[in-house]
Amino acid sequence: MTDQVIPYRTDNAPLLTVEHLTMRFGGLVAIDDLSFQASDEEITAIIGPNGAGKTTVFNCLTGFYKPSVGRLTLEREGRPPACLERMEGFRIARDAQVARTFQNIRLFPKMTLLENVVVAQHNKLMKASGYTVRGLFGLGYGKEEKKAVDMACYWLEQINLVDRADDYSDSLPYGDQRRLEIARAMCTEPVLLCLDEPAAGLNPRESSELNDLLTFLKDEHRIGILLIEHDMSVVMKISDHIIVLDYGKKISDGDPDFVRNDPSVIRAYLGEEDRPAVVGDDGGRHD
Amino acid sequence: MAVDRALVRRRGILIELGATALVVFALTISLVGFHIKDVSGGLSLELRYIDVMSAVIIAIIGRGWLILVRHGHYWWVSVTATLTATILIGSLIFGGAIVQKYLPFKAGLLQWLLAIVSAGFAVGSAIRGVRKRNTTPLTAEGLASFAEDTSFMDWVSAQVQRSSVWIGAIIFLFAAVFPFLPGVNLRYLDIGVLVLTYVMLGWGLNIVVGLAGLLDLGYVAFYAVGAYSFALLASPDSPLLQELGWTQGISFWVCMPFAGLMAALAGVALGFPVLRLRGDYLAIVTLGFGEMIRVTLLNFYSLTKGPDGISKIPPPSLLGYSTEARMDENTLENTTEFHTALDIPFDQSHTTILLYFVILIMALATNFFTVRVRKLPVGRAWEALREDEIACRSLGINPTNTKLTAFGIGAMFGGFAGSFFATRQTFVSPESFTFIESAVILAIVVLGGFGSQIGVVVASFLLIGLPEMFRELQEYRMLFFGGSMVLVMLWRPAGLLAHREPTIRLYDGKCAGKAEAAAR
Repeated sequence: MTDQVIPYRTDNAPLLTVEHLTMRFGGLVAIDDLSFQASDEEITAIIGPNGAGKTTVFNCLTGFYKPSVGRLTLEREGRPPACLERMEGFRIARDAQVARTFQNIRLFPKMTLLENVVVAQHNKLMKASGYTVRGLFGLGYGKEEKKAVDMACYWLEQINLVDRADDYSDSLPYGDQRRLEIARAMCTEPVLLCLDEPAAGLNPRESSELNDLLTFLKDEHRIGILLIEHDMSVVMKISDHIIVLDYGKKISDGDPDFVRNDPSVIRAYLGEEDRPAVVGDDGGRHD
Repeated sequence: MAVDRALVRRRGILIELGATALVVFALTISLVGFHIKDVSGGLSLELRYIDVMSAVIIAIIGRGWLILVRHGHYWWVSVTATLTATILIGSLIFGGAIVQKYLPFKAGLLQWLLAIVSAGFAVGSAIRGVRKRNTTPLTAEGLASFAEDTSFMDWVSAQVQRSSVWIGAIIFLFAAVFPFLPGVNLRYLDIGVLVLTYVMLGWGLNIVVGLAGLLDLGYVAFYAVGAYSFALLASPDSPLLQELGWTQGISFWVCMPFAGLMAALAGVALGFPVLRLRGDYLAIVTLGFGEMIRVTLLNFYSLTKGPDGISKIPPPSLLGYSTEARMDENTLENTTEFHTALDIPFDQSHTTILLYFVILIMALATNFFTVRVRKLPVGRAWEALREDEIACRSLGINPTNTKLTAFGIGAMFGGFAGSFFATRQTFVSPESFTFIESAVILAIVVLGGFGSQIGVVVASFLLIGLPEMFRELQEYRMLFFGGSMVLVMLWRPAGLLAHREPTIRLYDGKCAGKAEAAAR
């Protein structure tokens, strides 16, 4: 395996800097000395065969795991950088404004769509309700709640589910649940959105809708997106920057064209071969 | 190979009847069959074989009717059930001495119950006979109709939740005038006070279990903390006040908030160690906590007087006057400071009426709080925490604070109820706070339906009110209690009125200008 890793170059400001991230579970090294940068207003995809450690990276980023070694820095304009590796999970979402979705959907099933997206604005509303004391007597809380509902409506409209706002979220079909999870994450007003396999289980039409939604988030809302995905039709089309992991190590880092033709990526996905093959649009799930 | 289907079917029916008889026999022989009687010079064992036999016969008849219904013989069932019901009701109303002589179960209420069940059979099978519908749960069609029954109850609970404002107002009006209704004597008023206490406890526990989804099997601990904090401050008998050299207790209205505060602190104290636990593990720890509090109260003699308990707890004062009954020195009659000051004749029931209204207001305050808080961010966070804690964390909700507030606030209402309990009983001792109390309160919440406020009222009435009213049924009422719990769990496992109404709706004609609300 060659160690010649060419850093990805971009004009956008770096948003997330991961340095020497290592995660060990007992003797197992899930992530081994991983460093990369994700930039503002870009979609950065993390790909790799199953078990490569992609979700572990996310869990370290969002505070569900404490990394064994490494530094995770989030830089935002006009604010001091946040050291994610030292923060508790809920603080990363609240103070560092990193939102995430989950590989196996985690909605609040017995709550309506609207409630799901309003709960995401908890911290803002908590302050508005005077930490419940003022809200109990209805002083000045109604206006803030209306604003929250308006924002919820906006995001439900973006995912075309505003008509079903009062339905329970477990009554939604699978693809809609995935999009609702993204809308809910967006309601926390993140600067970095981490999506764990958002296209898993979607049909071609739904995944092309997802492409549009992610491009819209990047262009209109100017957030950075970190994406784990197996579906190459999504990854290759919308990513600006791709990082390839294998056995916890970074094996390639660059724009889609670079990664597509990188021999070490091809080796990881297809195994050793004489003829150069291409990781194409037909997907990379071969293990 | 020819199989005689009729024979197989008949054998099946016989086996079913036999199995029914066996099960009922096995249950009743242990529960009803042996009765320990208190005779002079010791205890003696009485065999009540007639009761056992009649229970078996009744069960066989009932099962037989069910089998007949299943095979479509609606009219047979209808006619025989009508006959049975008529005989029973006739003998109950007109006092048919001959019938009564040969009937077991001398308790009138039980016969009424049998009569009602037979009447139910008669009407039900007649309706089915008219509709000519096979409604056995053992066929596909039957299953469909069973599901229809269930969805009917779902519909009822949804309607109840939706019109809860009206139903609540009606219940409130009834509760407000209840003490002044004709025929309401001291006994019914006492039952009312008891039911309301459990309604309040149920509503308090509903915050922890129903909203936040934290299964708490030791809720009685907070009830005990509230009761003891109150008693220690309010009773002139309390070791604490005696140590301080006070001869007078502190007023109810001062002690009650303090008792609530102490219980809330206890709730937070319990909350900390169990933050990481969920489900069964949480239940076990809370169960242990409940016992710890009780055992502490039992053994911390210098503060709590252990098993002797704390007595002489005064009733709540009213308008600054004590309502404690005492002997008037001039007239040598019982009176209270309140009656003397306002110059109204003393009546024993006045104190109970006062207690009734105090607990009514306290329970309503609990309800107001819960209904209100559900629509606030903290309430939604509780419900979200119940649904998925990991998702909550990813949305920036602090699970520690959210859980602790749920524990603390739930415990606070338990503490308020505890202080009421102390003032009502005028005496507290650790034996009032056993695990069975926790179980009953939890049963109220589960039976009513998690998170359902009206469900708690209905369940308190069913679990506390009815058994109190039917005291003449003696030990049979526990049998009914258990039986009806089993039935409810079979029929509506999520609780009687389990239906969750959204805390916020979009399509109520509001949400104007949703399009232009740019998020960022």
